[in-house]
Amino acid sequence: MLRTRGLTKRFGGITAVDGVDFDLGSELCSLIGPNGAGKTTFFDLLTGALEPTDGRIEFRHDGEWVDMTATPPAEIASLGVHRSYQITNVFPTSTVLENVRVAVQAHSDHAATFWRTSDAYEADLTAARDILERVGLSERAEDLAQNLSHGAGRQLEVAIALAGDPDVLLLDEPNAGVSSESVDDIVGLIEDVARDHAVLLVEHNMDIVMEVSDRVVVLNQGSVIADGEPSDVRADPSVQEAYLGGYQTGDLAEDGGEPGDPSGGVA
Amino acid sequence: MYLVVVGLLAIYPAIYHLLTQSPLGEVAVTVLPRMETMVAVLYFSLFAMSFDFISGYTGYLSFGHAAFYGTGAYTVLLIANGKVPLLGPETPFLVALVVGAVLATVLAVVIGLVSFRLTGVYFAMITLGFAQVLYVFVRDWDYVGSNPRDGIALSGARGFELGVPYVDQLTVALGTLTGDTLALAGHTLGTTTVSFYAVGVVVLLCFAAMQRILHSPFGRVMVAIRENEERAEAIGYDTFRYKLGAFAISGFFGGVAGGLLAGFKRSVTPESGFYFLTSGDALLASIIGGFGTLAGPLWGHLFDETVREFLSKRGQGGGLLPYLEQTLSEEFLTTELVGGLTVEGFITAALNGHASLYVGIVFVLFVLYVPDGIVGTVRSRLGGRVARRLPERLWGER
Repeated sequence: MLRTRGLTKRFGGITAVDGVDFDLGSELCSLIGPNGAGKTTFFDLLTGALEPTDGRIEFRHDGEWVDMTATPPAEIASLGVHRSYQITNVFPTSTVLENVRVAVQAHSDHAATFWRTSDAYEADLTAARDILERVGLSERAEDLAQNLSHGAGRQLEVAIALAGDPDVLLLDEPNAGVSSESVDDIVGLIEDVARDHAVLLVEHNMDIVMEVSDRVVVLNQGSVIADGEPSDVRADPSVQEAYLGGYQTGDLAEDGGEPGDPSGGVA
Repeated sequence: MYLVVVGLLAIYPAIYHLLTQSPLGEVAVTVLPRMETMVAVLYFSLFAMSFDFISGYTGYLSFGHAAFYGTGAYTVLLIANGKVPLLGPETPFLVALVVGAVLATVLAVVIGLVSFRLTGVYFAMITLGFAQVLYVFVRDWDYVGSNPRDGIALSGARGFELGVPYVDQLTVALGTLTGDTLALAGHTLGTTTVSFYAVGVVVLLCFAAMQRILHSPFGRVMVAIRENEERAEAIGYDTFRYKLGAFAISGFFGGVAGGLLAGFKRSVTPESGFYFLTSGDALLASIIGGFGTLAGPLWGHLFDETVREFLSKRGQGGGLLPYLEQTLSEEFLTTELVGGLTVEGFITAALNGHASLYVGIVFVLFVLYVPDGIVGTVRSRLGGRVARRLPERLWGER
């Protein structure tokens, strides 16, 4: 669906993303790595929020590879690549329904219509309500987005990304800051959307990563250091080194993310 | 609810007439704005609404908005004075009004193309810069008349006629001196009252059009840009184009407002057209009335003008000062307070010509304690749009 070749981003002297070759199929792929590994920068490059210093990004659209290096974010979104944000980034004083509706409207052909009221486009409203139903927010449709709890805000974050009818969905830590009781809701949601979208997930909770991913890619200091099935990646010594470099081998085995380990191993 | 407001404004001339003739006349003259003021309130409110349209709904403070107001006004007067090629002095006012508005739109696109590369305070500053350049330019533009600093006035004793072009029955002349009077159901409406209705119809149409746009898919995108431009872009909106479109629409209605000013006053100065304080007045009206509520600027400006007139000098519409001088006894007025200061002296010192000072204080109080403005606060108190919630409050949930 999406591939990068030699993708590089430098900020002054710092190389945040360093020559990444990456291919995303239609699976649920997790992108992990310690803080500062360049995950969010990688996302920003894929969605056009940042312009790469070097390298190419290509997207498979209608059976052909389209170059979308240095394409503005709005155009990338209309190609079908949508993202959610690590820090909830919604339209705070609009209602939950309007948040999703305006995102649905973005890929319709009447987005710039100014002579009819938006309520006349019933299809948008229906689509928005369906998405709210899917993420479990239909009860809160009329509330203002700023009045949602943190967990519900995360659900809305995913709902807005879904509303663009994406082919590729980039989820940047949908679980960030969610209390342990609500984590299951979000995990259910991730698994649900992965059924009909290609998903690239950034996640810090190793339990979740191991549970939901078809494939795990590890980024460290801007480079891919491991790529493969979750179990292979977990056993990879260089991954353990990157995460817990300097600790003793005994701790590594424990902290590598045993299922059920509440600390999840990494931060 | 809008019908109620429009209705109230529509019967305002009658109310004003009745109250000022009644035993309460003295008080009414003191408190209520004059008809001349009300006409000015209408067209200036339209300008303030166009300012709020861009600033309150997309979050981009258009501090040079006066440029569009001035463009509209200057265009109408230049056409009427026969100084515009192809459009002779006989051009109907409505056509001139539209031409002025279209020119303002073009100007908005040009300013917008440059300015929307910036955000926040830098955007406000660059639009202000454009307006000030135009202000300095028209101040020294010999073409408009022999004395460009005094602006431009309609030559001859003619006035403007507002109405559907070439349909005499639907056309009335504007202005206090040159306007029409109308006989209606046994009453004669004065020239100012007729202008009030004629200008009011145009303002109402423009308001309805802007309201419509704000509730359209396009308008929803404007709000999305105000709320979170980064996300609006991420979900697939080319925000630059939407902002430019909104700015152009806003410039159009700003131009219409300027044209109405020219039509009623028959003259315009660089100060009343292009100067940054004119934009400042629109900001004032929007803040007091409610930023991001299209109807707010009308209430804000009405409030502003009422306070100003209430506290203004003698002979400017009957304010507090003449009222006190007439009503209080001679004895009380000449009573000495301290150090040879009589009550009359004190009142004069406190009130004479200081309206702007008090309006300024009111403005500060509003920003501090009523940040949502009049309409915004009423809305949040009622828990929704006024139009929808007020009837429910009054007659219970239905």
